[in-house]
Amino acid sequence: MAVCIAVIAKENYPLYIRNVPTQNELKFHYTVHTSLDVVEEKISAVGKSLADQRELYLGLLYPTEDYKVYGYVTNSKVKFVIVVDSSNTSLRDNEIRSMFRKLHNSFTDVMCNPFHNPGDQIQSKAFDGIVSGMMMQTG
Amino acid sequence: MAQCVQSVQEFVQDSFVPMVAVLCSEEAERVTRKNNLSFAELLRPFCRLTSEGHIRDPNNQVLVVKNLRICVNNIVTTPNTATAALSPAQKRFLNEVVLSCQPQESAVGSVIATGEYNLNFSATTPWFEAYRENFLQSMPASDHEFLNHYLACLLVVSSTEAVPVEQFIKLSQEQHRIQHSGEYTSPKWFIPNTLKYYVLLHDMGEGDEQRADTVYEDMKQRYGSQGCYLLKINSRTLSTEKDEQIPDPWSQYLHRNSLHSQVRCVALSMRSQGSWSGSGTVGLNYIADTVSNNLDGHPLQLDSGSSSASKKATRESDNTSGGTGSHGTCLSLNDHDHIRQFIQEFTSRGLLSHIEKNIRQLNDQLVSRKGLSRSLFTATKKWFGGGKVPEKSISEPKSTFGLLYPPEAPELQIRKMADLCFLVQHYELAYNCYHTAKKDFLSDQAMLYAAGALEMAAVAAFLQAGAPRPYPAHYMDTAIQTYRDVCKNMVLAERCALLSAEILKSQGKYSEAAALLIKMTSEDSDLRSALLLEQAAHCFINMKNPMIRKFAFHMILSGHRFSKAGQKRHALRCYCQAMQVYKDRGWSLAEDHINFTIGRQSFTLRQPENAVTAFRQILTNDSRQTATQQAAFLREYLFVHKVKHSQLSLPQLPLPCIHSSVTRIYFGHERCLAEGEKQAATHVSLDQEYDQDLAAMWCNLEEQLVASANRGSIPVNFQPTQYCLNSQTDNQRHPLAVVEEPIIVEVTFRNPLKVPLALSNLSLLWKFTADSSPNDRTTPQSTVEPITNEETLATGARLRLLPHRTGQLNIVGVVYSLSETQQTIDLMVCGKQDLNIQGLRLNQTKEDKMSVKHGPDRRLDPIITPSMPLMEVFFLQFPTALLCGEIRKAYVEFCNVSSVALCGLRVVSTHPDFFTFGSQATTPVTPLTPTSAENCSAYKTLATPPQLDSVASEVLVSAEVFSQFSSVMDIPIEGGTLLPGESTQLPLWLRGPDQEGVHEINFLFYYESTEKRNKISHRVLRHTVFICASRSLSVQASASRSSVPPHHSTKEKGSSGTLVFIDVENINTSESGVREFHIIQVSSSSQHWLFVSVLSSLPDCKLGSRERAKLCFRATRCKPPRATSDTVKKYTFADLNLGNERIISSSTPCGDFFFRCRRTPALSRTSSSTKSQGTASSENKADDITNIVKKCNELDLNIIVIWKAYVVEDNKQLILEGQLHVALQSLGKEATSLAPKEEAQEMVLLKFKSELPVPVPPPSAELSQLIKTNLHYPEIYTHPFGHNSLCLVPVTLSLSNCSMALVDVLIDLQHKSNSPESEVHHSFTWVGQTQYKLQLKPQEVLALTLRACFLQAGVYNLNTPRILAKPTEQMSLSETSQQTASPALIIINKA
Repeated sequence: MAVCIAVIAKENYPLYIRNVPTQNELKFHYTVHTSLDVVEEKISAVGKSLADQRELYLGLLYPTEDYKVYGYVTNSKVKFVIVVDSSNTSLRDNEIRSMFRKLHNSFTDVMCNPFHNPGDQIQSKAFDGIVSGMMMQTG
Repeated sequence: MAQCVQSVQEFVQDSFVPMVAVLCSEEAERVTRKNNLSFAELLRPFCRLTSEGHIRDPNNQVLVVKNLRICVNNIVTTPNTATAALSPAQKRFLNEVVLSCQPQESAVGSVIATGEYNLNFSATTPWFEAYRENFLQSMPASDHEFLNHYLACLLVVSSTEAVPVEQFIKLSQEQHRIQHSGEYTSPKWFIPNTLKYYVLLHDMGEGDEQRADTVYEDMKQRYGSQGCYLLKINSRTLSTEKDEQIPDPWSQYLHRNSLHSQVRCVALSMRSQGSWSGSGTVGLNYIADTVSNNLDGHPLQLDSGSSSASKKATRESDNTSGGTGSHGTCLSLNDHDHIRQFIQEFTSRGLLSHIEKNIRQLNDQLVSRKGLSRSLFTATKKWFGGGKVPEKSISEPKSTFGLLYPPEAPELQIRKMADLCFLVQHYELAYNCYHTAKKDFLSDQAMLYAAGALEMAAVAAFLQAGAPRPYPAHYMDTAIQTYRDVCKNMVLAERCALLSAEILKSQGKYSEAAALLIKMTSEDSDLRSALLLEQAAHCFINMKNPMIRKFAFHMILSGHRFSKAGQKRHALRCYCQAMQVYKDRGWSLAEDHINFTIGRQSFTLRQPENAVTAFRQILTNDSRQTATQQAAFLREYLFVHKVKHSQLSLPQLPLPCIHSSVTRIYFGHERCLAEGEKQAATHVSLDQEYDQDLAAMWCNLEEQLVASANRGSIPVNFQPTQYCLNSQTDNQRHPLAVVEEPIIVEVTFRNPLKVPLALSNLSLLWKFTADSSPNDRTTPQSTVEPITNEETLATGARLRLLPHRTGQLNIVGVVYSLSETQQTIDLMVCGKQDLNIQGLRLNQTKEDKMSVKHGPDRRLDPIITPSMPLMEVFFLQFPTALLCGEIRKAYVEFCNVSSVALCGLRVVSTHPDFFTFGSQATTPVTPLTPTSAENCSAYKTLATPPQLDSVASEVLVSAEVFSQFSSVMDIPIEGGTLLPGESTQLPLWLRGPDQEGVHEINFLFYYESTEKRNKISHRVLRHTVFICASRSLSVQASASRSSVPPHHSTKEKGSSGTLVFIDVENINTSESGVREFHIIQVSSSSQHWLFVSVLSSLPDCKLGSRERAKLCFRATRCKPPRATSDTVKKYTFADLNLGNERIISSSTPCGDFFFRCRRTPALSRTSSSTKSQGTASSENKADDITNIVKKCNELDLNIIVIWKAYVVEDNKQLILEGQLHVALQSLGKEATSLAPKEEAQEMVLLKFKSELPVPVPPPSAELSQLIKTNLHYPEIYTHPFGHNSLCLVPVTLSLSNCSMALVDVLIDLQHKSNSPESEVHHSFTWVGQTQYKLQLKPQEVLALTLRACFLQAGVYNLNTPRILAKPTEQMSLSETSQQTASPALIIINKA
């Protein structure tokens, strides 16, 4: 399903990046990093009008030749980015949205861990599992 | 898109300018060549009109033409087809242009601060502008547009020519031939009847001016005054006006070309410059180009070539290329003005009017044609097109992107008119025409034409000043798309995109511009892609909300393409700019990638410094790269380093990481602990972990030593000796090291990589400031073993320095060779790393707390002091396990290994009762060598026959003999000093601790140099042993007053006998093979008491496991101390041996340990007793009843039980000896050899109670023991009752005062006890005085003779007297009834 899932901290450094074809990690890093510009643009655009009831899901950030990049921003400005293969047409917006929600829930769980230091890299088996699940679904 | 020098309007205008061709006669060419310029070049700087031109449009309205520029070029007739892509040569040229235009190092980049980013980059990109300019200039002329077709032709003839007019005719014919013969496709002409402008060139230097004037007059006649011009140049002679500074306007126009030619020279080293410059000329090029056909007619050398007639000018061009430095050397400023005037004249009179005429003509044609019906119009089209409409979709590839119109096609006429209008800045008309043309072309499906029209329509719309309509951006997009996708003409698409992007940029539509530029990147040209991507990146950053990351990403993409295009410098610049965004933000993978690329590019650009820095970054980061990647990085780094630093000074290496704060430094030799039999003192070593508590303990011990060495006071400047410094020790002061003693530095490395690193040739880097001794040339040397550092393990390397001189040493860093693994030794880099240790953070003052300040850490800056003695201590036969109380003899060897004598040897220990060196006075003569003493008892013994009723042998010993009551012991070495190299061996007795378990026993040896004036006042040596003590015997003792007067020793007064019961139990539980214990001797030691005899004991006193024995002894008070030894406390030792040999308990091991063991409780007791004394004295000290009572019951008897244990070990029987001590404090109380701890606790409690003095009512039970009574009488008395009915028996009542006070005693014989049993025998009565009142002096024994009268035979209890006593001085107190002894029975027999 997803080929790359990333969690970016408020300060725009990566908290977590996983991608499925592990050999091309660098490319995904670049893709995710570049997408932050769009995320910021979207946040600033939305932030002015509807500050309080902002939709966390940002939708498609931008398409590239091979991938579609979707974004999601939590209220604490932590960004989730999901990169999906362009050829995968089965994914609807709703599915992406639910993936993000799932990711957000799992992320919240990670943050609730009293032993987790906010701002550290996410090292959680449960979170890993959720992410792997999202990536595996393609089969 | 980056900022440009030109404004958009200027740029777009200058992209499309009227083209003017030049045909020169050879002679004219020669004249211009004097200035190192061709004629076209000569004109170039003046091609922009400074004044306004005027033109009338078809409606006769005057238009102002501002700032018009014309382009003058030599005719090049190379068959240059308008290809869809740039030729390789063009590409190469553009590459060179970009390569030559590098950003200045000094150029201040603009700083953009957005949010968290501060980017520093150059806002302008001159290389891009240069590329764009050259690209647009190199655009080949194509059929679908006329903008870069020649509008006019300058025919230039020199006045020196024999017949200039003939030359003009010749040139005119030549031009006509080129345009109309059909031989040449290359220079395209705008309009069939090209404007010919005749220029007579007059050289002021050589020609006859008058002649020129006449020729000019003639020309005016012939061509009209508006069609010709006389240009006078070269009025300046080289020789005369050398000093005059003439501006050189050509340089900025020509330097690129000259550079170009230079580059070409290099590229074509096989060819001569001449043949090359000829290759661009008419007719010659075919042969020349057979050598390399990729050199076909470079469109960019339009002006570097010579005119069509300059076949012979090749020679001269040789010269020009030789002296490219200066241009226009023969031109004065006047000449410059002449040229400017000429251009002005030509443009306004000739060119503009020519254009005006043509516009009008075309307009008329079109207007007349408009009258024709549309159908006819299409019909003509059909004729001309030749049935192109149906076929266009079928076979020919050309038809896919449109059809070809014949030059006279009406659609092209519109286009032509549009182009003309455009060139003279009549943009409104141009737009209308383009728009019309576009419709026509589109309806004909002539896509190329349509795209061209669209493009120009958009540009014209943009340039229209009033802007009645918005800029049609979609025209551009359609045009680009058509060019690219339909026509496959990337060159045109690129031009269109460049224009469009520039226009969008000017309108602030950066994201559209970026998208456009990114779309234009393709695989076919790396250079173009790189440049466009870079511009796109600039677009992103120039947006209202700068998209920094997109900027960075596209910079990286651009850098990648640049590097593919061979533009290393540009690539490096791009990566560096992108780096600013990625740096230190956690995107380590990207960061690594960029750093790696930067490193590589820098390396290839011969900037090893930067390469090294970049690679350092990769390696110092805690990288998330895979091991193989890391290995690659490392290899690259090493390689770069090797190349860079082959001869330079040592570089700083990034790997491995040094934990400088955990660096440890050790002063002294590395020691081997065990040396055969000998066991060296453990001292301090780097292998030990630092322990705060231990350090404090050692410091405390050292304080004690120093205090004892300085007669009880600790010097103010005392600092504990530190042999091993680490992060926890106090490193504020410079440590002191000694000459010729090594300094060992332990540096801890950590390898952050996943690949192993090999370090070799590790050594220390130090700085040394010698103490003013200039002649001494010896310096410290460092010697180090190579080490290999495996994986991520943190490893400490120990490096040794051996100072040979005194002074100040600073250890600065480490030097080592870093290589990848052992096998690739050749790739090894030698470098250094500094050791910078940050001191502890200061937290004393408020200032310190507010800011972050760090104290100094001088760990690595030792001061080398002159040599000091160095002592080694070895232990021989030192046990590791002992039974509790076991006595063992060991030997200790002191060895002075330095060259300086030492003295003042002392030792202190945490367990002073554990060992003794013996006292000199009582040291038994034992063999000094340990070997011969193996089976010898540790005790000093005397063989005596066993006696059951043994009488104790007593020895009086002063405690002073065993002196050293402080825990510090002087070590009795001969002479007090140990000379260099000398060693001495001393016996040492050890006694197992009383507590079972493992005991850590610390020794601290102290010694000083015999020379005093040293910085180091003393040295210490530590030793730690662990002794495992296992249980042996438990001794319990209690004492009670004997009621029976001593009948054996008559000499005794008999009042103060005390019985001592000793319970001994074998509590050894271990299977260590202790078979049995023998109690061989019991000794007493006291100031007041001594054992007199054994009352009962086992025959041989053997105790098996868990067996128990009870021994009973009698003790008596010693003789009162003689007056002479009043002050000295003397202890009386009384030995009662149960075996057949007597151990002299007062001599060395036994007595020593006795006193040592006593000391521990004694010390604490004195402290508490001083307190209680203080309170007592303030109150009523003599009257204190408790005191008296206590005194009375005080015993203070110490018992030493000496035993032997038979142990079987390895089938050998060993005899172990030992002694246990029991201190009996008072009568009745039980004391034990075990659990001294509880006792200590009790004392503490007592101490606290004494704080609040509660007047304790004297316990009657204790007061009742003031007086001890004994009745002496015959046990059996036979009386003849028949003879005398009254039987009188004399009874002696002896009263002994146990207390130390006067006691009043009241004896009442008549007292009748109330007890019923006593009433049974009241058949006897005391006769004589029945009440006595006496006063007994302290310790006095008084005998009273009483008489008892019996009436009949029987058994009587004589113990009926009631004795009341009270201390005399206690007035308030009533007498207390004294405890009576057991019934004293008397048997009266009837005789």
